Amino acid sequence: MVLRIRLARFGNKHQPFYNIVVAQARSARGSKPLEVIGTYNPLPAARTDVSDATSAPRAFKDITLDKVRAKYWLGVGAQASDPVWKLLNLVGRVDATNGLDGTGWMA
Amino acid sequence: MRNRASNSLSKGKIRQSWSKYNLYNLQRLRSPATANRTFFQQKWSAKALGRAYHGEQVREGQWKRMFSKRIRSVIPMDTADLAADDGSKNSAGRGSGLQTQGEKGRPSRIIPFTQMAFAPLERRLDVAIFRSLFASSTRQARQFVIHGAVTVNGQKMRHPSYLLNPGDLFQVDPDRVMFATGAAKTKFERRETRQLKQKDEEDAEGDSEAKSEDAAETKPDAEKEDGRDTLKALMAQAKNIMSTDKEILPAKRKQELRGFQKAVRRVLSRSGTSTILTDNLEAQFSELTLMLNAKRAEKKPAKQTKQAKTDAEDSNAATSVESEAASDKLSEAFQAAAEGADVDASELTDEEFEVLKRALTQMRDNPIDNSKPYATPWRPRDFMSAFAFIPRYLEVNQNICAAVYLRHPVARPGSAEVPTPFGESISTPAYGWYLKRRW
Amino acid sequence: MAPRIQSRSVSNLLPYITSSSSITSSSIPSLCSSSQSSRYFSTTPAPQTKLRRQMFEWLSTQGSGLKHHTPGETNYLRMADGSQSNRPFPNNMTFISEPVLSEELRNEVYFRVKEQKKSPRAVSVELGIDMNRIAAVVRLVELERRQRDKGKPLALPYARAVHEMVPTTPLAQAGERQPYHEPINDLPVHPLTGAQIFYPVPESRPFTRVDAGRVFSGAPKLEKKVSDKITHPSDLVDDLVQKPGSIEWVGKGDNARQVLQPADVRIPHPQLVQLARDRAAFPEERRTVTQRHTERLERQEKAEKERAARAAERRNRNTETIDPKDSRFSFRIKDAVVSEETVGKNGRAPWAPGRRYGVPTNDRTRGTVKIPTRVNV
Repeated sequence: MVLRIRLARFGNKHQPFYNIVVAQARSARGSKPLEVIGTYNPLPAARTDVSDATSAPRAFKDITLDKVRAKYWLGVGAQASDPVWKLLNLVGRVDATNGLDGTGWMA
Repeated sequence: MRNRASNSLSKGKIRQSWSKYNLYNLQRLRSPATANRTFFQQKWSAKALGRAYHGEQVREGQWKRMFSKRIRSVIPMDTADLAADDGSKNSAGRGSGLQTQGEKGRPSRIIPFTQMAFAPLERRLDVAIFRSLFASSTRQARQFVIHGAVTVNGQKMRHPSYLLNPGDLFQVDPDRVMFATGAAKTKFERRETRQLKQKDEEDAEGDSEAKSEDAAETKPDAEKEDGRDTLKALMAQAKNIMSTDKEILPAKRKQELRGFQKAVRRVLSRSGTSTILTDNLEAQFSELTLMLNAKRAEKKPAKQTKQAKTDAEDSNAATSVESEAASDKLSEAFQAAAEGADVDASELTDEEFEVLKRALTQMRDNPIDNSKPYATPWRPRDFMSAFAFIPRYLEVNQNICAAVYLRHPVARPGSAEVPTPFGESISTPAYGWYLKRRW
Repeated sequence: MAPRIQSRSVSNLLPYITSSSSITSSSIPSLCSSSQSSRYFSTTPAPQTKLRRQMFEWLSTQGSGLKHHTPGETNYLRMADGSQSNRPFPNNMTFISEPVLSEELRNEVYFRVKEQKKSPRAVSVELGIDMNRIAAVVRLVELERRQRDKGKPLALPYARAVHEMVPTTPLAQAGERQPYHEPINDLPVHPLTGAQIFYPVPESRPFTRVDAGRVFSGAPKLEKKVSDKITHPSDLVDDLVQKPGSIEWVGKGDNARQVLQPADVRIPHPQLVQLARDRAAFPEERRTVTQRHTERLERQEKAEKERAARAAERRNRNTETIDPKDSRFSFRIKDAVVSEETVGKNGRAPWAPGRRYGVPTNDRTRGTVKIPTRVNV
């Protein structure tokens, strides 16, 4: 069985919120995963506070992630789903083949 | 939620609304009679009146849970008084300060605590939107929230009962605000809108070839026309737009505005430098002002142009200019400017520049736009001014239709910040009603 | 239905440019007759009640002045004696329509805070505007600028009309004195002061605001050697500005509360009391007094800034913000640690990262608030 790092949807209608989970590939989305290693909130929050930056600040999305665990699971052969790849690449460069690139945080 | 809050004349209840029925009810509001009525009856009718205005959209049970007998108040302190005395003078004698004969303290104004009985409701998002003058009634504000036109701190908030925290910034879609506070369309304008819509649909169906043909046809037509006449007409129209004659009908004004718009576009199409032939008013405006300013700066760099202020006084001065000859000069100069020739634009008076500038600003900021749901150019709805006030606990920026809830409303000596149409004769028994726990 | 009557004339299509003329001409002639004449063929009376008739009569006579406003003047219902005032509700004498900041004054506040880098505290004293309002104005003006830059639609004619209708505090011209917008030293009434306490004190010993605060909060009397050091309640300000956490606590458990401080400390601008005291004590040395005042202000601002920086650092510890070039959004990435301590033995600890599995959410149970209670900036 393949281990997969993927998103599990929580939240209400029109209010998605995702757990980044490590789970068996064939298990259901809502079933209990092996481990929760982070969260992702895809709803952007606009900035209305005062900032010193000259350009208007961009709306932000929140990610929490346990980098150590992510690295461990990739190391033991877990495959990240596409959306999770994108998130991991934001956090630090990840190589698509083995997850260990040598340049980013995965190194 | 069904709207049970009618503005019936027979009941005479007052609502959070700018309706003229409400205004009439407000005007004829009298304190309920207390003679021959038990204290319970007095409190009952007072709380019924109060609740019809304060949070009629909130269920009674909900409100009773929100009610707090504690009322926030502040005392404005005088730093000189504080510095002069460490408090021992006030506590001297029998504990309330030594009083010497002939010396009188400041007359103390009482704090109207009971006027704050419904203060917790002012925290609600829908009420705060109404208080910031972004909606013409709390019901409408509520609808704006539910329909997703309101953000709190940049995030969409769909709960009208969200309780604002001090420092929260809420923003309403400006188009909705203009709709809520603007005069309604007449039936003629509504028909125009319908026709425009139909035309658009037909245009969309027609192929693009026809369009290009049209453009080719219209261009030579414009060239044939005499440029001078166009500009004369333009200036005359600009002047008419700016006139304050009360008797001009809205339709007439609109026609003039439209003519002016067309003329400006024609001028722009003729001038060599301009490449703007779009409907983009913003671009047109900047182009025209640029051209005018450039000419002016060349001729008389020393002379300072007056700041384009739109104060009441300024505009009155500007609109009072009524000389025909001057307008001719202006039109000539404008024509020359438009055609790129080197003509003395500096002969124009400042006022004339003002008039033109104003007309252009007007066209840009408050244009005729039939696609809008309100009468254009925008004007405030009738009887809005009778309800226009902004309480101190809100800081509002009308340009972007955003406001900050600074703090909870407070009472201070002599005044209470909760806007309520009722006097103490109603608010005190109403407060008394909710002090007693009846459930 | 009300008779839909088109008003014949409109005051002002361009309220924010011409900004003159309010129309008071009764443009609605004989309403009742018009509603009746429309059904002259019918014998049934018009569905116009007495009240409706009276209302339209009032609207076309006394009420007609309320229909349109005169720029720069309030236009509220008249009081019982027929006078015009700044009270929108004739029955409520305690509610006053207070002035709002004019557009120029708002921009001036923004200019002083953002461009001249003055502290909100200093600007508040200069312009007589509450500190919270200063912060809000800066935020709103900044938001407005962002929206202008983006080319988002603005409600300019509406803004102009509102500023014509409500009273405003103008920005003073050069050489004039800036009119104060609002009282800036508001002292919130503390709930502890609500109680009436009988407290006998010896006449030989002064009973000051410091003592009164201690009585209200049920704290023991100050020792003589401590109280002798305090010549005036505003002496406490300097220490408390540096260490706001140093206020003494009394009571135990749920009843624990901080000792109520004197008004000199609790007002928003305590330095102004010290300044007034200095001025009274050294009326000749104006320069020294001013200098001491600026020093105090600087010290306070420095302490406040340090505190804010520490708080921000604590908040942003373990978070980094990434702005990808090809994205419209920035991402706030927070470090989480999944371990037995953080997620509990069964991995179900409520403080663990992510939404929990197998733990009932009590978001629908009776008595809980079902909607958000706060939105973070």
